[in-house]
Amino acid sequence: MSYLSRENSALVLVGHGSTINPDSSLPTFVHANEIRARRIFSEVHCAFWKEEPSLREVLRMVEAQDVYIVPNFISEGYFTAKVIPRELELNGPITIKNHRTLKYCDPVGNDPRMTDLLLHRAAEVACDAPPHDTSLVIVAHGTGLNENSAVAAKRQVAAIRDRGIYPEVVAAFMEEPPEISDWANLTTQSHVVVVPFFISDGLHSYQDIPVLLGIQNENSAPASQQEVFRHNPYALRNRKLYYAGAIGTDPMMADIILDTVDRFDKQHD
Amino acid sequence: MIEQLLQERLRSGPIHLGELVVREVEPGRFLIRHWKDDESQRKLAVGIDATAALEIVRYDEQGNYRALKGAPSLSTGWELRLESVSEVRQAIDYFYPGAFSTWLAFNRGEITPVDLRQTLTRQTGMYRVTQRLTGLQAEELAGRFCQSHSGCLRTILWTIDGKAPEKYLPRSKFDPQADQVAERHQKHSEDGREEDPPARLSSPKSYHVPFLCVEACNLFVAEARKIVKVHSK
Ligand code: SF4
Repeated sequence: MSYLSRENSALVLVGHGSTINPDSSLPTFVHANEIRARRIFSEVHCAFWKEEPSLREVLRMVEAQDVYIVPNFISEGYFTAKVIPRELELNGPITIKNHRTLKYCDPVGNDPRMTDLLLHRAAEVACDAPPHDTSLVIVAHGTGLNENSAVAAKRQVAAIRDRGIYPEVVAAFMEEPPEISDWANLTTQSHVVVVPFFISDGLHSYQDIPVLLGIQNENSAPASQQEVFRHNPYALRNRKLYYAGAIGTDPMMADIILDTVDRFDKQHD
Repeated sequence: MIEQLLQERLRSGPIHLGELVVREVEPGRFLIRHWKDDESQRKLAVGIDATAALEIVRYDEQGNYRALKGAPSLSTGWELRLESVSEVRQAIDYFYPGAFSTWLAFNRGEITPVDLRQTLTRQTGMYRVTQRLTGLQAEELAGRFCQSHSGCLRTILWTIDGKAPEKYLPRSKFDPQADQVAERHQKHSEDGREEDPPARLSSPKSYHVPFLCVEACNLFVAEARKIVKVHSK
């Protein structure tokens, strides 16, 4: 797919970042690099809530007068509604400040193609699982993280069900019912594919969820970060369980970010 | 513009910024190294694009995650050979995000440091409690968290209630012209600590780009939260 050149505009991709998990910001940097290489924007920068460059300093790095700001977040919520606007001093989708137009786009998780991405991840991780014998579980954080990830995950589940590929599609959460630790009771098919609805393979996706699923011990060494995705399928509770990496690391995300910018322009013509 | 100014700067000689030395070795070819490796004879791992910096900045030599980019813990043993000034700029932004642009803005008189009170008042959610941080606690925190020895190499421009947090930090920590790496080094030799000689201090041709802190960072705010929480227990 080709994208409109925006050679006079800058793109700022906003990630959460982390002070403890070195992998948290990586997907945001990787997607920024990919988009930079396509030379669509005059500049591409990243900014983070918990890392540097911070939201407070990133605009000093930008030279263009026209700036698209895309939150690399899975859903709308506290960060997109409160933190990002506050730190960047935005007052709506379009803010004009110091001769500069700041265009605040939707979080990437709102893109309609997220559904394709989830399906793509599921098919990729469980290529030997016959879809008609497979339950698909989309797992999100749920309450507690100031985000509407549960609502967003349920929306994805409904969209996937509509496609009729899997006989059973369910949402499960880390911190609210239906809980992911109950996966065996939530599903009925002989194959179960679990796809985390997260932006990065952070502690939740390579540590917490595997423990909740029962495929990893509570105190596994950090070295098993990558291992957990390599041992599929897991034979557990008389099922074949497949566990995928977070969707936010998928190369398709770069296109989704660009789609998000396109959609902003269509909506604010 | 930023790239152009960086190019001009590099044309007139090497620059050092934080723990980096950046030079144009011949027109259009650039080299970035850790200053300790600048005159090193040892074999260095070579990176040929800016993204190599992303890996270098993530861990210190002990393998710990470097959440604070300004920490004086950049690993040694590598060099970046880059073929364009835009790659150089990108690499610098990976090592020290925004440092070069902030310095340019500072030179143009466009930087308004943000008082810590303002930063803390702005906080919401779990960080709202930081508004209760007292002036003294803030001074202590700056003295511990921002000091150049093992904390952060940025030069502080912000204030606490209108005053520089000078109680536990040397004057040089607030002097935009001061090179925190050199200051740190000097302090170390005064304390009798062994370290490599600061090669760049003896190189009058290299230009020091100040590494500025305009507003207390989010890690500082997170530390402030811990202090308030402990004291409220
Ligand atoms: S507040 Fe500034 S000087 Fe202190 S640690 Fe953060 S970035 Fe460094």
